[in-house]
Amino acid sequence: MGRRRRRQPDPADAARALPEAIAALSRTLPAAPSPEIFRRAKFDRPEAAPALWRLLFHVLSPLSADSASVSFTLVDGPPELASPIAEAQVRWVKSVLHSQGYPRLALVQLQDDGSQGGRELLLALAWLLARGPLPERLLTQSHVRLGDEMPVCECEALASPGPPAPRVEAEGSVDIRHLQWLMGKLQLRWRNLMAGQQEQCALLGKIHSYTRGCHSDRSLGHLSVTETELLRDPEGGRQLLQRLETENARLEAALEWRHRELVFWRWMDTVLDTCPLEASPPTFLPRIPEPGAGAAGLPVRELQALQEELQALQEELRKAVEARRAAWQAAVGGHGPEWRAARRALQVAVAQDLAALQWAWEQGKGQARPHGPRRLVRTEARVPGRLGLWATEATEALRAREACLEAMLHQLQGQCRQELARLVGVRPGLIWVPPPAR
Amino acid sequence: MSIVTVQLGQCGNQIGFEVFDALFNDSHCPGGLCSKRENEAYQASCKERFFSEEENGVPVARAVLVDMERKVISQTLSKAARSGRWKYGQHSCFCQKQGSGNNWAYGYSVHGPRHKESIMNLIQKEVEKCDSLSGFFIIMSMAGGTGSGLGAFVTQNLQDQYSSALKMNHIIWPYGTGEVIVQNYNSILTLSHLYRSSDALLVHENDAVHKICAKLMNIKQISFCDINQVLAHQLGSVFQPTYSREGSFHYRRNPLGDLMENLVPHPEFKMLGVRNIPQMSENSLAYSTFTWAGLLKHLRQMLISNAKMEEGIDWQVRPPLSGLPPLGKMSVNKETHFNTSIANLVILRGKDVHSADVGHHRALKRVLCAEHLKIQLSILPG
Repeated sequence: MGRRRRRQPDPADAARALPEAIAALSRTLPAAPSPEIFRRAKFDRPEAAPALWRLLFHVLSPLSADSASVSFTLVDGPPELASPIAEAQVRWVKSVLHSQGYPRLALVQLQDDGSQGGRELLLALAWLLARGPLPERLLTQSHVRLGDEMPVCECEALASPGPPAPRVEAEGSVDIRHLQWLMGKLQLRWRNLMAGQQEQCALLGKIHSYTRGCHSDRSLGHLSVTETELLRDPEGGRQLLQRLETENARLEAALEWRHRELVFWRWMDTVLDTCPLEASPPTFLPRIPEPGAGAAGLPVRELQALQEELQALQEELRKAVEARRAAWQAAVGGHGPEWRAARRALQVAVAQDLAALQWAWEQGKGQARPHGPRRLVRTEARVPGRLGLWATEATEALRAREACLEAMLHQLQGQCRQELARLVGVRPGLIWVPPPAR
Repeated sequence: MSIVTVQLGQCGNQIGFEVFDALFNDSHCPGGLCSKRENEAYQASCKERFFSEEENGVPVARAVLVDMERKVISQTLSKAARSGRWKYGQHSCFCQKQGSGNNWAYGYSVHGPRHKESIMNLIQKEVEKCDSLSGFFIIMSMAGGTGSGLGAFVTQNLQDQYSSALKMNHIIWPYGTGEVIVQNYNSILTLSHLYRSSDALLVHENDAVHKICAKLMNIKQISFCDINQVLAHQLGSVFQPTYSREGSFHYRRNPLGDLMENLVPHPEFKMLGVRNIPQMSENSLAYSTFTWAGLLKHLRQMLISNAKMEEGIDWQVRPPLSGLPPLGKMSVNKETHFNTSIANLVILRGKDVHSADVGHHRALKRVLCAEHLKIQLSILPG
């Protein structure tokens, strides 16, 4: 039996490995550009920047409800034709990266119009990929759900707030009646929403009980709304199939990425090498060598003069800062007992909050808090199954959370009332007539 | 979503019957401009909203009838049953023997607490039949004793018991020269109580509807039946299924919610009125043609000049220029006829409704449309 000759690694394979790895990454991320863009970004070419800003924006923003609207296809055309990214989106990406602890200052210093910084953006993307399983997390978020789901906790919504809404500044004075109008509209919309949700629940219950025994999976037993629609409307079924196929393709790409990612990281090392060193702020004065004799002494004397000047400036700065701080403390401390009382009240309030938090945590320590969205199943079984959760437990957890929030609301309302009382006291002779309670 | 109607007093019960009759006939009338599938969707939506299903297939109105005398209720029940097409529930009515004697206090402080449990139980049963509750209609007049006094009491209790449901009171404004001596007192007491417990007050003026009957419909001997039918027609054209301008795939599920969100969000401005165009007798319909542009123009002027009907519109009245008039320049003697409504909602029904252009009319805001049945335009100024 002859020994099997080990195949020499084909150099062409090595050359192909990197683009294939990046292509796999592109196929699994939303709105990702082609490997060519990545290569151009390493050399900080301007055309790469907008595509990478867009990629970062889509990766960082929480997924919209309609996952079909996010494009998964590669941008094959020339990047100049792709739509430019908005300034607000660029600023938002910067702020989110900063809040997640991204260390490089160069990113923050990039221009807001999104026209430069391909290399920095590449580094930011690599940083995000290295921190956690980014493609897997995105895939979980955009997962096609076949069941009727209900969220049991608010963690997802709280952890990733979307881009801020555009701020509308009020010009001049605001008509209080207009505010009341808007407030009332909000309240009515809220009530309509609640009514709509109750209707949805009632109808879900009906569908679940009517389709009992129709599901092939015995543990579920009945159909969900999506599945019922599938039976009623073949066109909808085709669209669902398409979405499932797309998701499949992304999952396969994610697997491929995991096999090949080592090549990518090696390449990212070279990208990091091409970056200029970050300038760090001077924390100490440069050491000046002893003044020597002769021709070398002149520049050294100048250096010494500079050093003395710098020292004098630092001393002046320190004095100015101290003076400012003393003045501020005097101004603040000038309120005297009132300020001290306020500070004490604040400390007491904070201590109370901490104690309440601790108590609440200890109460809930024994039970595992339910997380994430769950599929609703109407069942007569005794045991909820391996990953199951009884509706009663879920409602209890939600009620506890509701009680917490209500307590917070009452506290805030009390604070508002105190503030109002203070304002009323300030202007004697005014009669305050509140509007009739709804 | 379903609406539960509470019919109070003689007026309320008679009008209620006409309303359900109009709704049912409208959703089941043959012909029309739409495909069978759309017709069925319309029917189903209307039916779910106002009727519930009973075993033998005859739709039962989602209504509770309350009166302090037997006569009107039994007449109403038999009229409904006679048509054979729909009916009231057998056990959905509550009546007594002695009446209220046009006395608001008697209705509010005596009948109310005495019969509170029975009445609220009836309403509760009706609510339980609904899959989901959009809100309540309370139809009452302000002149009499039962409608006004008991109506105010019932509305208050609905507010306490169903605080999350929306309530719309349909108030019949009595004739200026009405025959009840104390109608002014009754009206004021009713309005002040309703303002606190109701979400919206839709006012129907007897005088205005009477004029419509006389001038537009050419009815010689106007009876309350005619007036009630015109009123029912107005209500039907507002509350039958509609879809919004943006998306015409499904009918909007919460008509009360949509209406209230747009018209009465402010707690101090709750009074509403309805204007319809065109209104005419069936005979004249054959000889008339309409265009959306013409109808909208008339409707807009009706709104601006505060006219209650299509005839006799004052075309001289113009909306004031934007901004408040400078203080001191308004002459006190000159009456401004300009309508001072805060918000408006337009509902368009008819052929080619999407071609109707409401956009450039500054006064008209939110628009709901439907392709069905009779050509009607309604507008509710808040």
